[in-house]
Amino acid sequence: MKGINPLAVAGIAAIVAIVLPFVGSDYAISFSIQLLIFLVLAYSWNWIGGYAGYTHFGQVGFFGIGAYVGSLLNFHYGVTWYLAALAAAIAGALVALPLGGAMLRLKGPFFAVGMFGLARVLEAFALGFDSITGGGTGIYLKPVSDLRPIYFAVAAVAFVMLLLTWKLDNSRLGLKLLAIREDESAAESLGIPTTRLKIGTFVASAIAPAAMGSIYAVYLGFIDPPTAFAPNMELTTIAMVLLGGMGTVLGPLVGALVLSVVNEVLWANYPQVYLACVGVIVLLAVLFMPRGIVNLGMKSGWLRIGRPLFRSLAARAGQAAS
Amino acid sequence: MPVADLLVGGILLGGVYALMACGLNLIFGVMRVINFAHGDILAIAALSTVSIAVGLKLPFWVAIVVVPIGCAAFGALIHPLILRRIEGAPLIMSLLATYALSTILVNVAILIWGGGYSGLPGVLSGSVRILGINVSISRLVSFACAIGVSLAVWWVLEYTRFGRAVRSVSAAPELASISGIAIERVRLATFALGTAMAGFAGVLVAPAFAIDPQLGSRFIIKAFAVIIVGGMGSYPGAILAALLLGVIEVFGSYLAGAVIGSAFLFLLMLAVLLVRPRGLLGAGVRV
Repeated sequence: MKGINPLAVAGIAAIVAIVLPFVGSDYAISFSIQLLIFLVLAYSWNWIGGYAGYTHFGQVGFFGIGAYVGSLLNFHYGVTWYLAALAAAIAGALVALPLGGAMLRLKGPFFAVGMFGLARVLEAFALGFDSITGGGTGIYLKPVSDLRPIYFAVAAVAFVMLLLTWKLDNSRLGLKLLAIREDESAAESLGIPTTRLKIGTFVASAIAPAAMGSIYAVYLGFIDPPTAFAPNMELTTIAMVLLGGMGTVLGPLVGALVLSVVNEVLWANYPQVYLACVGVIVLLAVLFMPRGIVNLGMKSGWLRIGRPLFRSLAARAGQAAS
Repeated sequence: MPVADLLVGGILLGGVYALMACGLNLIFGVMRVINFAHGDILAIAALSTVSIAVGLKLPFWVAIVVVPIGCAAFGALIHPLILRRIEGAPLIMSLLATYALSTILVNVAILIWGGGYSGLPGVLSGSVRILGINVSISRLVSFACAIGVSLAVWWVLEYTRFGRAVRSVSAAPELASISGIAIERVRLATFALGTAMAGFAGVLVAPAFAIDPQLGSRFIIKAFAVIIVGGMGSYPGAILAALLLGVIEVFGSYLAGAVIGSAFLFLLMLAVLLVRPRGLLGAGVRV
């Protein structure tokens, strides 16, 4: 293997991630937390959207559910933020299970529109049931003095998501999901239990966003319906996966890194055209680079950290395990 | 409960939904593309109408003529630039492309018109008494125009040469192509027609509703609900479902407040998706 050593890259990244909160400014930590939250969202979306191929416009719904479950627990009962996040994750899974069983019977545009509508229903409920959620005024949480524990928690979750995606990409399960993406009826006829796998993937991809929603609320110290169910959160997440490469291990990572930096620059300098710029990026990616940066890099050879390497790493890990 | 008032209010509201959903449905039928930007075209058309009538002080009918033509031109521009290039791609690409287009349009609208609400006071104001019910003239006119245009387009689809071409491209693009129909030209014309219908709906919305750049996202989910309840690709289904959902929304808002009332629509949509995904009058669409 010529060029850069991927393990060295990963090692340096890990050291930077651990050292950063102790040397970085508050701004750096704050920015990193946002980046990592988006990274987790992108990896979750990648499972259902990238691998199983279901266009999921409702992930932000689970993010919002988590945000409200966590915030309400924190606000009314004083539950610590990590326990609240855990409860939010469980709530996300409990909501996703029956919902997935129902919604995943729909295909293609029906699923997309159904989930899109569902996120809006949830937002309407959050606004409408103002005796519970505080409605448009929102809920104000006690601000946290130290962001570092949050940073480490989110970083750990992001790392686990990366690891799980890597395992998934090298497993029969991942291949089965790809088969569902390419042709669901054919997959079914080959004996793949498509319904069970789809629902499982849907639930799995709802857990982490719900936890992130809860943590995001603590991080902001505030939650209201437009923040919890923000459509541009959804768009940014999908844009990250699309830009990096859907259905790849490194796609969400690359996409989240690139787009977070771009977002930050846009927010700082041109906040009034921020959304349009993200839209243009998605549009350009769809038109000219639908397979994403990672695939482009692997094809042209300037990105060595690609699928073949991960395959060989996984093979070695598999041998070591057996 | 003032049942008659609510019923009439609901049906009048349903008219605009019908026009909008018919355009969306037409585009979906012919191109298999769900146009997430449809609502934002409506919002921009409504805002342009306000600018023409209030800003430029031109009569309202100028907007009725100019705005739909402008929207058709926009559609004719978008189709070759974006949609034709991703025709063979997986469905997710067209969904993402129109979703992205929608956010771009919202942002551009905010840049041009600002984020606040505007309206057209003084155009078609006042109300008339019909059968003992007070009906605002603006809502009545917008209902009549919306249903009129929807039915006219339906007539075009059913009884003209162009309409037959549209229906054959919708049912079987390959066979249509073999039969000598220039399917790309039909798709372009259909997309332009669909966006023009959204634009006309926007013109009709302007005197009757408070409008802001976010109006599109509120309308698009209602239009989604309409075409799913009515059946994707079914024209009469969309008109009937629009009237039905208009009535449900008005009754829901009266009973549970505006925010939760509009959520009733989506709950109905989800119920239809689960029980009868093809919709009330849909024939089942291959996707």
